[in-house]
Amino acid sequence: MFSAKVKSDVIKGIIDVTSPLVNEAKFNISPKGISLRAVDPAHVAMVDLEVKNKAFEEYKADEMELGIDLDKLSSIMKLASAGDMVSLEYDEDTNRLIIKIGNLVRRMGLIDTAGMPDSKMPNLDLPAKAVIKASELTQGVRASEAVSDHLALTIDKESFELYAEGDTDTVNLRLPKDLLLELSSPGKYKSLFSIDYFSNMIKPVKGDDPVTILLGNDNPVRVDFDIADKKGHVTYLLAPRIESE
Amino acid sequence: MIKNIATNVSGQKKILSKNMGRASTLCILCRGTKLLCGKERCPVLVRFYSKSRIEPLINKLRLHGSSPPSVFIGRIGYPYVAIGPLIPPYLGDTSIIDTPELWLNKSIDEIVDFRSQLVRGKHRVKITDVETTDRIIEYTRELALAEKPVYTEAIFEKKPYGKIVFYDEVQPHGPSAPIKKIYIGNPKYDQKIEKAFYDTDLKAKDAILELYRKGVRISKIQRAFSVGAFGTKKHRRFVPTRWSITAVDSTIGEKLMEKTREHPWINEYRVYNLNQFDNRWIILMIPGEWQYELIEAWYPNTTWNPYGTSISIFNSYEFYNGRTTYAEIGGCYYAARLAVNETLNKEKRQAGVVVMREAHPGYIMPIGVWNVRESIRKALQHPYKKFDTIKDTLTYVSKKMDIPLQRWIKNSAILKKHLYQKKIEDFQKKIEENYDDQTS
Repeated sequence: MFSAKVKSDVIKGIIDVTSPLVNEAKFNISPKGISLRAVDPAHVAMVDLEVKNKAFEEYKADEMELGIDLDKLSSIMKLASAGDMVSLEYDEDTNRLIIKIGNLVRRMGLIDTAGMPDSKMPNLDLPAKAVIKASELTQGVRASEAVSDHLALTIDKESFELYAEGDTDTVNLRLPKDLLLELSSPGKYKSLFSIDYFSNMIKPVKGDDPVTILLGNDNPVRVDFDIADKKGHVTYLLAPRIESE
Repeated sequence: MIKNIATNVSGQKKILSKNMGRASTLCILCRGTKLLCGKERCPVLVRFYSKSRIEPLINKLRLHGSSPPSVFIGRIGYPYVAIGPLIPPYLGDTSIIDTPELWLNKSIDEIVDFRSQLVRGKHRVKITDVETTDRIIEYTRELALAEKPVYTEAIFEKKPYGKIVFYDEVQPHGPSAPIKKIYIGNPKYDQKIEKAFYDTDLKAKDAILELYRKGVRISKIQRAFSVGAFGTKKHRRFVPTRWSITAVDSTIGEKLMEKTREHPWINEYRVYNLNQFDNRWIILMIPGEWQYELIEAWYPNTTWNPYGTSISIFNSYEFYNGRTTYAEIGGCYYAARLAVNETLNKEKRQAGVVVMREAHPGYIMPIGVWNVRESIRKALQHPYKKFDTIKDTLTYVSKKMDIPLQRWIKNSAILKKHLYQKKIEDFQKKIEENYDDQTS
């Protein structure tokens, strides 16, 4: 069984984080909260999401899976204003999710989760770590989008650097240690990433909120941040581009 | 790509005055439609007009013949456009003249020859005037819905102006003249199209898809679409022929793509190839998720690279989720996308597809987007070469094409992605033995 009450913003936050990568997702429901792990169709990026039961106003659940069409859920959530309370209830008899927004009752058919694979989170060696304000990162990525389709991230002992190079133009964002919330790195680490993917990953975090970046050499980047008033957490992995034969 | 266009457009004056060679890139982006060079008429097309000294077919105000059936909706002056029939100066079974699906075994000269005999009658109407008592509108629509050639007689206001007209996306046609009066025989409608025409609750998109499913030729659907025969009643309107071709290709393609994305991946790399009208085509399929790219290389002295001294290469692409902006290289992008999705759907398979086109100097005239759609359909009917690795695949491609492999890769978003972008599982394999699930 699953029955919960939650502010619409929390659900919208979950959609913002997952929908850039997948159209359908398998949510794992447990008494502790909701979690999800999915890989995009190109197998380039992974999202791992956890929202604790504390993020909900009311929460009651057994262990179960919900297969959700995110486009559909997103269009339903557009019916709710910011701050609206949304109630969710799983209807076992019809295999539907009953979503109540104010006086509106929306019954949403669920997707069979049998064909949805469980992805494993690779254990990566990512020695460099930087914690950056979301707004700083967003600015650098937006500038890069205009000149190239990929960017380089570098972390060394002194700074975090984002660099993009096009045919004629370049973008460089270098943040020394004192402008970062945290920096720790045993040496210099650098990898290349697709801007399309990377920009989608940092879009859900705004303003002064911290984004944690873990980096290695020609290894995936790991991006971590909190959602739902710190009662939820998101981890993204993005595989690198390696431009050698 | 978009940023390239921007710089070209803003810097066009300089490019043109200083160096005619650079202007070649403008022509490919413009193809006679946008007049990026700043001239009043497209010099490329004008060159063809002067070359093609078609004698005035008719030196009189009255013309009769069997329309294939065929109509033409102009785009100049939109939303007030010139509509009307295309009429050849003779009677009989003229259907081949407006059925591009059957033209692949003709030569360019033959195609230009029979298309140049089509006289275009022009009648200016507002695009929303699809339902009036205006005879010319009515007859134009009836022709567009007809199944077989229809006897058509037109009286023009002045003698048809004698030249052949080429477009990038539309098939060429001959001289044109404003219509004064028109008369047509009793046309027999194509039954399937007629049904969609009388259904004024059926959306245009659904009409297109239903007719396509029932096996109606694309050129027929497009012709009826252009006269506003489909759609809910108040939304019906004339659609310029050029736009209607891409609208139909793109609508059907989108629908097929939805299904393509759900099918299992192919298991091997595939290469299909075809030489047609001195265009070399390669269709490369990659085992993986749906994504698509069309790369065109125009040799100097081909249609859209008349002044260039070097080969110009352009591409448009989309990844799995599709694209929302109009493709830089225009209608042919959508025509090719439709054709590759037809094959993938028939096989119930998913793949990433890169279509490469080398337009060699023998391709001297633009003959329309149908050339792209039908060439690729034909190429995909041939058996393909199978490979296990992308390296072997590209080695084979480089034998078939003149342009060096590195240049193709440099100009291809999808090949670059496929070669350089790693996948999550590339890092999973490495660590399988000391696998540790990090989440709680």
